[in-house]
Amino acid sequence: MNLKPNLRVEIAGIKMKNPVMTASGTFGSGLEYSNFIDLSKLGAIVTKGVTLKKQTGNPGPRVYETPCGMLNSIGLQNKGVKNFIAEDLEFLKKFNVPVIVNVAGNTIEEYVAVVEQLSEKDVVKGIELNVSCPNVKSGGLSFGLNVKSAIKLTSAVRKTTKLPLIVKLSPNVGNIDEIAKGVEDAGADAVSLINTILGMAIDPQSFKPQLANIVGGLSGPAIKPVAVGMVWKISKAINIPIIGMGGIMNCYDALEFFLAGAKAVAVGTANFIDPEATIKLIEELEEFLTIKDISDISDIVGQVKV
Amino acid sequence: MAHVKAKILNKEQVAPSIFKLSLLCPEIASSAIPGQFVHVECGKGKSFILRRPFSVYRQASKETFEILFQVVGKGTESLAEAEVNSYLDIIGPLGNGFKLSNNCKKVLLVSGGIGIAPLTFLAEKLYSTEIIFDMLIGFANYKKVIDFSLQEKIADRIHYSTDDGSLGLKGTTVELLLDYLKQSKKPDTIFACGPEPMLKQVALIAKQNKVPCFISLEERMACGIGACLSCVCNTINGYKRVCADGPVFDASEIIWD
Ligand SMILES: Cc1cc2nc3c(=O)[nH]c(=O)nc-3n(C[C@H](O)[C@H](O)[C@H](O)COP(=O)(O)OP(=O)(O)OC[C@H]3O[C@@H](n4cnc5c(N)ncnc54)[C@H](O)[C@@H]3O)c2cc1C
Ligand SMILES: Cc1cc2nc3c(=O)[nH]c(=O)nc-3n(C[C@H](O)[C@H](O)[C@H](O)COP(=O)(O)O)c2cc1C
Ligand code: FES
Repeated sequence: MNLKPNLRVEIAGIKMKNPVMTASGTFGSGLEYSNFIDLSKLGAIVTKGVTLKKQTGNPGPRVYETPCGMLNSIGLQNKGVKNFIAEDLEFLKKFNVPVIVNVAGNTIEEYVAVVEQLSEKDVVKGIELNVSCPNVKSGGLSFGLNVKSAIKLTSAVRKTTKLPLIVKLSPNVGNIDEIAKGVEDAGADAVSLINTILGMAIDPQSFKPQLANIVGGLSGPAIKPVAVGMVWKISKAINIPIIGMGGIMNCYDALEFFLAGAKAVAVGTANFIDPEATIKLIEELEEFLTIKDISDISDIVGQVKV
Repeated sequence: MAHVKAKILNKEQVAPSIFKLSLLCPEIASSAIPGQFVHVECGKGKSFILRRPFSVYRQASKETFEILFQVVGKGTESLAEAEVNSYLDIIGPLGNGFKLSNNCKKVLLVSGGIGIAPLTFLAEKLYSTEIIFDMLIGFANYKKVIDFSLQEKIADRIHYSTDDGSLGLKGTTVELLLDYLKQSKKPDTIFACGPEPMLKQVALIAKQNKVPCFISLEERMACGIGACLSCVCNTINGYKRVCADGPVFDASEIIWD
């Protein structure tokens, strides 16, 4: 008889019951999903990007569906770090689950100020630096496109906090491996990839873009091969753990990421389609490992046979 | 709010490109209020992934509810092909519905096109109250008009308009509303659902006539439950989520483009 496989992982010092996290911006602060699932069962909750001051976000329409994916241009709408702490973190306190806060900003000083405030809070178990939101410059994209600025930002935040530091990279660059190496050297404890891929859709009847913001970020199954490819490439360039995401809908999708070199995975767009997607994924992973007689999820990380 | 598999008990084509589905689903049928909607998976295994929102059209019994939908694209095309006795994956009931204040005595329901769906549910609820209500129903042309005998049974009076004059007033719902306000006693509240340009006009007319007005808005949605911030509309209090803060809004709150 098989023993239950071990799903526990530790990413950058964050102890997780299993390697399944939520992708920032696709899970709110968990409140809406708590109507459907027990949040405590998740490996970790990564919250929507927060900035120093409240941000209104982009005008609508903000979403457009494409074959097997969606374009969004939310533009980091959020209530600012103070309200986030008072409301969202207060809510998340009730659950026995590591909370990782996704942070964005216009300037290094803004990132640092947000991280300082979050570092004082016990519930926060890690910071994910968003240097990759394609929908607003203030998503830090300018930091994520260039090795030097990514390093500068990471170093500044590293000096600010002892919390585990994850840097979320942009796929919209040619040298993602150089940037990954750069943030590793600058003190990042892990990287997460990928954020959405810049895209556009046009209405052939009206000749107008489908999104009010003209361009947006593509997510969902359509981007999975790009994401898996990037995880694989970067896993060979760096030694810190990788959190993989991009189009994960089920266990087989997640396995591709583990095999390519991700130590944990995050579920994004799939939450919109099935609010229980994360929980089903955890169950499916356990079942897969049991059937395959693999005792520990970590045993398959990076095991793609090339 | 439930996530369920609802059995399709009946499917009926009620007009060209308009279908009615009866769904067995006690969780939603017993708890939905008028104006709320359900988020339906229309395309499992197809090349599109997101759910599609549809208003609850009727609460047929404690166990069943109906949706009325118009085929406009791939999701609704696929839904129109769904087979009786198969199951639909549904989340609902979602959003905030129409609210009736205590001093409502005479209300007016204004619907444009498929906007008839949530207003029919409201009409059925109003039927069992003391509140008097009239309905204004506008459709593109007579062919598109479904059988309104249900609505005719329950509403005190119905006025129709069609773009080509094939039924009722020749013109839009907006003209019908102007006509109505000239001829009838002012309602104390207007509830409206239909295409955005119509709602914008209705909101303006209501404001000019100092009649409180509540409208059900549409926006493209991803999650349907308030998490993704896709479905926002612009209001005097900033962006609000149509799925979770609406879909019914006080019209005076909305900032139209
Ligand atoms: C709260 C709410 C309640 C609704 N209730 C009903 C209802 O009771 N009956 C009904 O027939 N329709 C209703 N709709 C509209 C319905 O959701 C859309 O018609 C449907 O999602 C289109 O899907 P599709 O795949 O067929 O179209 P697509 O192929 O995605 O698009 C075809 C066309 O429909 C437009 N469209 C896409 N999504 C929406 C949307 N959410 N609202 C309006 N237009 C859209 C697109 O811009 C495009 O022009 C409702 C929408 C909302 C937001
Ligand atoms: C609606 C939406 C909002 C998002 N908001 C953020 C965000 O605030 N910060 C961030 O780092 N990533 C954000 N993302 C990117 C996701 O976290 C994830 O990287 C991406 O969607 C790929 O995963 P998926 O294909 O599973 O959705 C957002 C994605 C979507 C679809
Ligand atoms: S559809 Fe996600 S917030 Fe409304």
